[in-house]
Amino acid sequence: MSQFKRAPVTGGMLKNDILAPIRIAEIVTSKPFLPAEILASLLDYLAVPDLIRFARVSKRMREMVYDDTRWVQRLKLMECWDEREARRRAETSLGDASTVVTAHEAKRTGLGVHGTPGAKSINAAGPTAEPARKRGISHGGYAGDGFDTVALSPSGSGGVPVSRLLEPAARLAIFSRVRSVRGGSRNEYGKVHGALSSFYMDAAGSKNPTDAIVFRTYRDPDQQAQMLSNMRRFAKSDISQGWQSRAAKLGDLEDAFETAVAKEFEHGLIDGDIDGKMRKYAHVLVTLNGGGKGLQMFITRSHLISEKGSLGNPLGCLNTGSFSMEQSYRFFHNTSSEFNEQVAIMDRIFPASVDTVIPLLRRVGQEVILEYLVALFDEAHQTNLEAYLKAVSTTYSQSLDFAQSLRPGNDLGDAFPGAVDDIVLKAFEPHIELYLKEEIEFFKRISEAEVGSWEKQLSEQDASMQSMYMSNVNRQADKRDFLTSFKKVVMMPVNVLPTFPMSSPFGSKPATAKALVNGETLDIQPMTSQNPTRSSSPSLLNITALSNTTTGVTTPLAEPPTTELAAKTAIMNSRLEGIRSLFSIEVALHLVHAAKASIERAATFIKIEGHFGEDARKQCELIFVLLLHILGSRHVKAGFDQAVDHLSKYNPRSTESSPGQTRSVTPLVTFLELVNVGDLIQQMLDVFYEQELIATGLTDRSDFLSPAVKEKKRFEQMLDERVAAGLNKGIEVLMAEVEYVSATTQKPEDFNPGVAGGASPELVDVGPSETAKQIVDVLSSHTKMLVGSTDKTMLDVFNQEVGLRLFTALCKHLKRQRISVDGSIKLISDMSHYSSYISSLKNASLTQYFAALRELAQIYLVAPTDAKELATIVADGDRFHGIFRAEEVYEFAERRADWYLVKAKVERAMYGVGCAVM
Amino acid sequence: MSAPSMIKLQSSDAAEITVEREIAERSVLIKNMMEDVGEQAFSEAIPIPNVNEAVLNKVIEWCTHHRADPPSTNDDDSDSRKKTTDIEEWDQKFMQVDQEMLFEIILAANYLDIKPLLDVGCKTVANMIKGKSPEEIRKTFNIQNDFTPEEEDQIRRENEWAEDR
Repeated sequence: MSQFKRAPVTGGMLKNDILAPIRIAEIVTSKPFLPAEILASLLDYLAVPDLIRFARVSKRMREMVYDDTRWVQRLKLMECWDEREARRRAETSLGDASTVVTAHEAKRTGLGVHGTPGAKSINAAGPTAEPARKRGISHGGYAGDGFDTVALSPSGSGGVPVSRLLEPAARLAIFSRVRSVRGGSRNEYGKVHGALSSFYMDAAGSKNPTDAIVFRTYRDPDQQAQMLSNMRRFAKSDISQGWQSRAAKLGDLEDAFETAVAKEFEHGLIDGDIDGKMRKYAHVLVTLNGGGKGLQMFITRSHLISEKGSLGNPLGCLNTGSFSMEQSYRFFHNTSSEFNEQVAIMDRIFPASVDTVIPLLRRVGQEVILEYLVALFDEAHQTNLEAYLKAVSTTYSQSLDFAQSLRPGNDLGDAFPGAVDDIVLKAFEPHIELYLKEEIEFFKRISEAEVGSWEKQLSEQDASMQSMYMSNVNRQADKRDFLTSFKKVVMMPVNVLPTFPMSSPFGSKPATAKALVNGETLDIQPMTSQNPTRSSSPSLLNITALSNTTTGVTTPLAEPPTTELAAKTAIMNSRLEGIRSLFSIEVALHLVHAAKASIERAATFIKIEGHFGEDARKQCELIFVLLLHILGSRHVKAGFDQAVDHLSKYNPRSTESSPGQTRSVTPLVTFLELVNVGDLIQQMLDVFYEQELIATGLTDRSDFLSPAVKEKKRFEQMLDERVAAGLNKGIEVLMAEVEYVSATTQKPEDFNPGVAGGASPELVDVGPSETAKQIVDVLSSHTKMLVGSTDKTMLDVFNQEVGLRLFTALCKHLKRQRISVDGSIKLISDMSHYSSYISSLKNASLTQYFAALRELAQIYLVAPTDAKELATIVADGDRFHGIFRAEEVYEFAERRADWYLVKAKVERAMYGVGCAVM
Repeated sequence: MSAPSMIKLQSSDAAEITVEREIAERSVLIKNMMEDVGEQAFSEAIPIPNVNEAVLNKVIEWCTHHRADPPSTNDDDSDSRKKTTDIEEWDQKFMQVDQEMLFEIILAANYLDIKPLLDVGCKTVANMIKGKSPEEIRKTFNIQNDFTPEEEDQIRRENEWAEDR
């Protein structure tokens, strides 16, 4: 380097003897040092004092150095150049710019060589006024503050260095005095430079931080911090060579200072001197560099972080083996109150401009909540899966709640709620996936276990099944009553469920309470039992009352039903023993409850934006699908299949029926009840679907691709199919029963009183025979059970089939009887009995059949003497609505007791008449 | 690499210098030229009319030393601080030449578009300016003072703030 100083001009140029002067002259003119663009980039490497000296070399150099962009760039580096302000200023001053133009300036402008692109662009912006204004300003065109006039007016106290003129106090706020003026940026930079460069260079050159002039000039730590902060800002504009080492030096100085202040702050922290030392030094730190260090120190030292163990023991929630949300609630409550307390203190310590809350929140989220949750979940996951599931969903809603309860403190930004949500999400993110997986696994296992245990129980009870059928028969009427009341109960959730969240004990914390209630639906918890029971007590009483009156036996409830659902289960338990062998409403209810709990637990996560929410939603649907699947194919379907099996094996002769008891086909009754129960389950699921999936927006009803909707449809279809298959068998069985009854109970003297010869015709009471009564009873009791539980069309088909089969059975039965004229009265009333039963089915074609049958019965009423009349009736097809042909009627007529007496006459009347016509 | 790796450069004083293509392509100018001209560039010498043999050799020396440098990110205006790193030791030694040569190198670097070399040159010149009085600078760079004494005084007063104490 030192070589260069000697080597150039002197060495290179002067070694030539005579021609040297000429060559020098040539070089100066023809080869002007370096091209402008290289010169411009060269100047970038110069430190400011060198730059200014360079400006004094020649006019051209001055133009280059004075170029505004060069200085604007430095101001921008210090972040005190406001482009908008500059533009505004430029626009307003454009008007009066011409007034400050002087001849002197005009001359200068004319001479100016705009070597750099930057200068050109400025001129382009204001071709005429711009250079003029530039000069005007630099000569004190604006006398805003004392510094400008002193420093720039030629008549000022020249010779006195500007930096000496500045009050120490003025230097502190130097950046606030910088304005963005186009063309004046060099002066603006000059202000800052004058104020700070001496301190900066000193700091950069000092060996010992404590010796720095800054600390000697300013005694107050607050001012020292301000100066250091200013210097750091100023350092950014230092782009000449060696800035790294200078910046590093300054950094060292700052660090030393910060450490010292932080130590003081720490003392204050230990002493608990909130409004004194802590506040003072916190402000110093904030002035210095935003106070990050002090904040960190404070947060680390705060009770919230340092004594996080005292907030709550994660394992405390699991002490009892299951998850207790009171413990975790207490934890969140403690954390929240502690947090708010800390925020209040921080508000006192730190100035409002500093964002204190969010860093604290982050730390709390990271170190307190996350750790707590991890410990809790890990433990729960290992010990008890159900507890784990409950813990996850409950703590999630509790933490949402916690987020609500946090006080944003001084920091009123909109960022706070977002940040809080972020923290909560962060804390749960690692767990959600596992949770959702476990949830569905858990539900699957629980429901399969439920069904499995029930099946096992069933096989043990198989032996006693028959007797249960019988006892079941006795309670036919009760059962029907029960079914209606049960229907009410099942419909109940529609009204009851929505009240859960609203009637929660903690009005201020709906989220917690909701999870609380739903998570505990099947458990009896003193906390939950209070309110829901009260809110639904009228309906509950209603149910218990019903249960007492209808069964006639007081249901021995182990414990008073504390929730709506528990009450339902209790009633169910006592009532449905009869069909428990096939499938159990209780099991169905348990499954539905488990599904409900699972879905509601998972549903808390749906609020999360992004794929977790979507996952949770899908999971809910999946749980529902699984519920349908297990309930449908494993439970209900098996039950139906078994019932159908029983039906097909039925043999009316094998069952003894005690006299005086309403006859019924036991397996059919069971089956029909099954249909009812299946229908109930389906309704239950429907309600559940509406309530849990549609109402909460988990699925869209119209979305036919949704797996939940599809599965539901399939379940319903399956149920319908089973019912149809069962009914088909049921009809056969029923008819077998009808035939059996008619074959066994119809006494010969019913329609032919004379045969036994005992009873006189006068004693025959007008009314249907015992057989007819029994048959109608059997039929009506069975068909009525279906009403309301199956599809209307299916019911119609069933009734029609029953009617037709009854008709054929009766015809067959009739042909086996002997009917005297006296007995025909009985027969006619029998037939009326049948047809009145049939007409109650409201099936037009069936009614016709039975009307025909009634007409047919009349042929036995005709006295033997009126054989001719009989022949007319037999031949009269219209009379029987075309249902019987004459030949068929003739066959029936053969069953007359006196047929052989009248046969010849009738035949003669029929065919004789025919012959006569021929 | 299938392409021949040696190319010829012809200086302003008609000297031909053979150089590895990779080295020559430190110059953006030559690199672009190679792309434009294609195969022909390998058979004929590429004329470098602004640069004489001595300077060209010097430039090639620099390029050879810096052949393995990562390509300079060309967004030089992204951060004006980036380029103000100190000069490498090798470069410092390399730049210890007389002033005429120094300027020639800078001009050649500028012409050949070798940004890093140009930077090094500018830094070197900046170092020469550092701490000198205006009069010394004039002397060093052979610049005439075209200020009147009044003007000179005025500039000095205008910029008093920059004076070292």
